[in-house]
Amino acid sequence: MWENALSFFDFDDTNVIYVSLGTIILGAGAAVVGSFTFFRKKALIGDAIAHAILPGVCLAFILSGTKNYFLLISGAFFTGWLSIIAVDYIVKKSKIKEDTAIGLILSVFFGVGIMLLTYIQQSGNAAQTGLDSFLFGKAASMLAQDVIVFSAISIILVFMILLFYKELKLITYDKDFAQSIGLPVKWIEFLLSSLTVLAVVTGIQAVGVVLMAALLITPTAAAKYWSGSLSVILILAAIIGGFSGVSGAFISYIAPNMPTGPWVVMVLSLFAIFSILFAPKKGYFSRLLQQLKNRKQIQDENILKAFHQIAEAEDNFGEAKSLEKLREKRYYTTRLMKRILLRLKRQGYLRRTKEGFFLSDYGQRKAARLVKLHRLWELYLTEYLRIAPDHVHEDADTIEHIITPELEKRLEEKLGYPEVDPHNSKIPYD
Amino acid sequence: MIKQVENPIIEIHDLSVAYERKPVLWDVDLSLPEGQLIGIIGPNGAGKSTLLKAIMGLLPLNSGYIQINGKPLEEMRHKISYVPQRESVDWDFPTSVYEVVMMGRYGQLGLFNRPKKADAEIVMDSLRKVGMDEFKNRQISQLSGGQQQRVFLARALAQQADIYFMDEPFAGVDAATEKAIIKLLGEMSAQNKTVIVVHHDLQSVAKYFDWIILLNMRLVASGPINEAFTPELLQETYGGKLTLLTEISDLIQKHRFPNRE
Repeated sequence: MWENALSFFDFDDTNVIYVSLGTIILGAGAAVVGSFTFFRKKALIGDAIAHAILPGVCLAFILSGTKNYFLLISGAFFTGWLSIIAVDYIVKKSKIKEDTAIGLILSVFFGVGIMLLTYIQQSGNAAQTGLDSFLFGKAASMLAQDVIVFSAISIILVFMILLFYKELKLITYDKDFAQSIGLPVKWIEFLLSSLTVLAVVTGIQAVGVVLMAALLITPTAAAKYWSGSLSVILILAAIIGGFSGVSGAFISYIAPNMPTGPWVVMVLSLFAIFSILFAPKKGYFSRLLQQLKNRKQIQDENILKAFHQIAEAEDNFGEAKSLEKLREKRYYTTRLMKRILLRLKRQGYLRRTKEGFFLSDYGQRKAARLVKLHRLWELYLTEYLRIAPDHVHEDADTIEHIITPELEKRLEEKLGYPEVDPHNSKIPYD
Repeated sequence: MIKQVENPIIEIHDLSVAYERKPVLWDVDLSLPEGQLIGIIGPNGAGKSTLLKAIMGLLPLNSGYIQINGKPLEEMRHKISYVPQRESVDWDFPTSVYEVVMMGRYGQLGLFNRPKKADAEIVMDSLRKVGMDEFKNRQISQLSGGQQQRVFLARALAQQADIYFMDEPFAGVDAATEKAIIKLLGEMSAQNKTVIVVHHDLQSVAKYFDWIILLNMRLVASGPINEAFTPELLQETYGGKLTLLTEISDLIQKHRFPNRE
């Protein structure tokens, strides 16, 4: 097996080069076209097309008796398109919703396809070997001429997407507006559907019918975690699609009994899972980190506020405050409390002497601001939202942490720099 | 009270529209003057948005025709700008404020052409007019409702049209945005642009518009604000739905009856 792996990278076998290049191009092409079906929220139509292609291929073979590319692709294109039209027609003319229509069409076409395939296999026509690779994809055993034909189609697809990028983007984002400026929306939609059918026809070489939808959708689903710009997402999706394609081909080359398609999809799914978990900003862990940060901020600010409140009650701002008194205001465990205090000291809000912790000048200002925000918000809730004074404290306790300086200023102006809050506590200003 | 005008900028003749066979507008006949700020007023389901979409050719007509400056729509598209309802698009779509406003230039650019420097300048100018120039690189998914509406407005400005159709530009926006938008619309009409706005806050109608269209499945009134904005006409528009008309519409849909023979 490892000898196989090494010989893959030697590229001694010219077929290896073809297959590698071919799967990269096929994967990338399908991913780029798939991006638009994804953002048009028609991700599943790819699945319908993929299944609908099988009867077309079989019919073309039965009628011609040979494995002529042009005929097979034409047959595939024909029934693929037929499935789109059928889904649209059902949605438009009946009460059946799109997901159901796709399910119906997909199974009918696929059923007919399997019937025809079985018929062909039993007919004893020697040329039929290899037709069933349509079901699961067998990129690793593609021949040079297969690769050239399908790669050429993929390159044309990507070229067409680039050529009509502006228009495709507009009809995907805002179809009504596109139509209002006189764009030939129907024509561009027809073009995109045709490109999708062709992408499916070529992509099937890599992953087969059943897994084709993944090749269209998954690269974009992963890529959109990394960028908010359509052009960047398209490039990332192409890279992910291409890389997954060649990885699948590689694995089924080193272990010839392994089917290509499932491995391509495995690699794609790894990309998607990795993106969902680890992407910056939108990823799961990044969000988790943000929540942790928020929690720390709330804890820190609550303790600063407690310092201020105690000082206010004792009318003594300079002195150290004991842990017990702080815990009366905010019941955190002693361990947590100590951690927060040390953190605040590190950040320069607190200072520490033998007697304990006390607010630094900077901390003093920050604490006063927090108390002010809390009390301003309470006042805003009672005055503008007419909420009873005894209900406003909990609301203000969360809101005070997220009020920005701009909102603070507007709040002050709106309320006219009031002296006291609804509970008659003094509002501290700088 | 339906006032017809001489040399109208928009003329609608015997317009009827149905949604999935259910008639929503019956025989609308009206003409509108140039350079005015015009409000389309009516209750929910009155067909206000439908009227705009029908004028923009986004819906098939059951009957009637529309002329813009005496010409069919197709010849006048480059002079017209349409602002759809804010909720009609997906604000999670991966694109920036600048790119959305640039879409306003696509009509003039035509197929295959890339935006030129002049287009970029027009886009920046439009963004400045709505106070969104600082947000030009912002993802549209991060905008507030008011900012979304400003972006749509900037896109319309970038079209540099003479006639503007806006579907509920004041819906769900903050007070500051509403003020900014109405100021802008005033400036546009001062430059002899015709602005037609679907609106449903009756409080501000008299303050905002020069001319109003009262609509409730059929045209109730069309005229200058001081003539058409009367309690009687409002009563006719809002009070007492025409249940008979609604029931007939429902029947037509249910029996898949043709609207015209």
